[in-house]
Amino acid sequence: MSLARSSITRRRALMTGTAAIAAPFVLPASSWAQGGPIKIAGLVSLTGSGSPFGPNSRQAHQAVVDEVNAAGGLLGRKIEYLAEDDQTNAEAGIRAARKLIDVDKVQAIMSVWASAVGTAVLPLCWENKVMMLAISAADSLALLPHQGYFVRTQPHTELQGKEFGRIALALGAKNFYCMMPQTPFTETTFKAIRETAEPKGVKVTTVIFDGKKNSFRSEIDEMMRASPDVLMMGGYQAENIVMAKDLFRANFKGKVVGFAFGMTPGFIDGAGKEAAEAMYGCAEPAPAGGSAAYAYLKKLVKKDTLDTYMCQAYDHVNLAILSMAKGKDGTGTTIKDNIRKIANNDSAIKVDNALDGLRAIAEGKEIKYAGASGPCKFSDIGNIIEVAFRTTQVKDGKLVEVKI
Amino acid sequence: MLEKTLQLSVNGLMAGAVLAVPAIGLTMIYAVLRFVNFAVAAHMAVGAFAGYMLNAWLGLPATAAVLGAFIAAGAIGIATDHVALRPLRGHRALTLAIASIALNIMVESTIRFFFGGGPRDYSIPLRRDWRFGFLHVGPQQVENAAIAMVAMALLFAFVMLTTTGKAMRAVADNPMLADSKGIDPDAMARIAVGIGMGLAGIGGMLVGLDTSIDPLVGFRTILSVFAAAVVGGLGSIPGAVVGGLTIGLSEELSLLMLPATYKSAVGFLAILLVLTLRPRGLLGVKAA
Repeated sequence: MSLARSSITRRRALMTGTAAIAAPFVLPASSWAQGGPIKIAGLVSLTGSGSPFGPNSRQAHQAVVDEVNAAGGLLGRKIEYLAEDDQTNAEAGIRAARKLIDVDKVQAIMSVWASAVGTAVLPLCWENKVMMLAISAADSLALLPHQGYFVRTQPHTELQGKEFGRIALALGAKNFYCMMPQTPFTETTFKAIRETAEPKGVKVTTVIFDGKKNSFRSEIDEMMRASPDVLMMGGYQAENIVMAKDLFRANFKGKVVGFAFGMTPGFIDGAGKEAAEAMYGCAEPAPAGGSAAYAYLKKLVKKDTLDTYMCQAYDHVNLAILSMAKGKDGTGTTIKDNIRKIANNDSAIKVDNALDGLRAIAEGKEIKYAGASGPCKFSDIGNIIEVAFRTTQVKDGKLVEVKI
Repeated sequence: MLEKTLQLSVNGLMAGAVLAVPAIGLTMIYAVLRFVNFAVAAHMAVGAFAGYMLNAWLGLPATAAVLGAFIAAGAIGIATDHVALRPLRGHRALTLAIASIALNIMVESTIRFFFGGGPRDYSIPLRRDWRFGFLHVGPQQVENAAIAMVAMALLFAFVMLTTTGKAMRAVADNPMLADSKGIDPDAMARIAVGIGMGLAGIGGMLVGLDTSIDPLVGFRTILSVFAAAVVGGLGSIPGAVVGGLTIGLSEELSLLMLPATYKSAVGFLAILLVLTLRPRGLLGVKAA
């Protein structure tokens, strides 16, 4: 074969090489490597009690997936991100998860917020070998036989209950009255509060109320008769709005603490500045504000401040992608088998975003993902290890971080 | 114990007065059309949001916005009934009731589409309770009860004193006979749906004035509303008032014996007891 008859010229070779380098960036989806896209999903709360946070989680997921796809995808394949609204409701969550798993064939379900949804959906995940990276905090979740298909970045409720007990003690409580709606984590939270506060001489009263009602006047009357000095108003945002108004009307003079997820700017708007003033938002895992991952996420989503759940959602999508890259396969089982290799390995090179992590893995290096929500290290049953809490207080209608 | 019982009774009566308004709406529609229209829940939300727009966006006083809530919920009630339920007239009551549940979901979803799922608040001042010895009551509770009573009084006057009201009662009593007397059952059905859903709208706004509103404000209340109508006797307007007060009192007084988490069960229990012991309800004249 003579050179003259060959179709390969230096110019064509150069063009071919350039095209090969540029291909991942410019070719349509159909040109990605065989096997189709790797599908991962966000099962987020766009409506209901979790609606103040779900849209941010979805944004974080999408931003990371877009960035990775723009840089060539994962294992030569495009990542397809799907998001479903669980309506902060177990029944809707199950329907959405079934669609994601049975129809869309996703390999990971990320950032499930409500414990009731997490509890309902987790069995579907492990039965279908789909990895769940969750926020849901109920202790019972990690104790289910999930075969490793579960990790969460939110501290479980026993830790949150202990934090409430610690705060009550720090606020000088002698008579601590705790009110929560029926949730999968109510009993464990109450138990942890009692175990923390009662040995120090604090009287703890616990009441589970019906969160589906429109008014809690009589429940507040009952609380007022007990004359507590500190009240735990342990509902979600919607219940807390109604309860805070009823507390104001009843002229309650004690201190009020609640879950930070129920003490949001929306809560202050709804309850009114007067009613919400001086209330504490507690047991919120502090985002790693000074971390490289936090700074990276701020830039990625173009926001000045990030809520803790957006940070966790960012960590979920990074962990899922990097685990699959580490295991060289785009499945839920690969995530399960590799997530601790990239999350718990303190001696490895620290990475704070998917692109750096993918590059390092491609170079054969060991990595340790350090996230925007914290160090992201997991126990054998999927609970987060190493948690820092923060407390906020409503001051002049604004949430301000305080040290207690 | 006496102090606690009296305070719970006050709370129950106030809540019951508000509950009675949508319960009358539900029972009125039942009286004329002979099916339980569960879309009352969504029309409570329609009224609540219409009132919210008038009050929070346009600055109308809450009492005036209540009238807007009635008109908006009534008008939308007639329109949705015309499109979704009217074509099914003649089918079994169960078919219509199931269709009304579907309609309810559609209307609630539409509200969520435009307003989102988060809670919203009326532009009214938050006031401390009035205290009378060991009893206390909120000014907003009293205003709500007063608005509810005015709405109920106007409705009674309409039903008892006007020709249209009498015609509606005739249709409710005996549709065939009313038809033979030249009363248009379709027109009566439209009026019943309009007034019934309008009352639901008032109920939704009254609930929201004391708490906050979101698209599920009616959904959370519908069990108590339905229980009130059943206890009073489905189809009986005075029965709905008695039923509303009974359910309001029962739910609050249940706290004397039951943990607060079982409050919702009171409505179910009331329905069960009435269906077992007195199926026509307290003031109903026919078996439901």
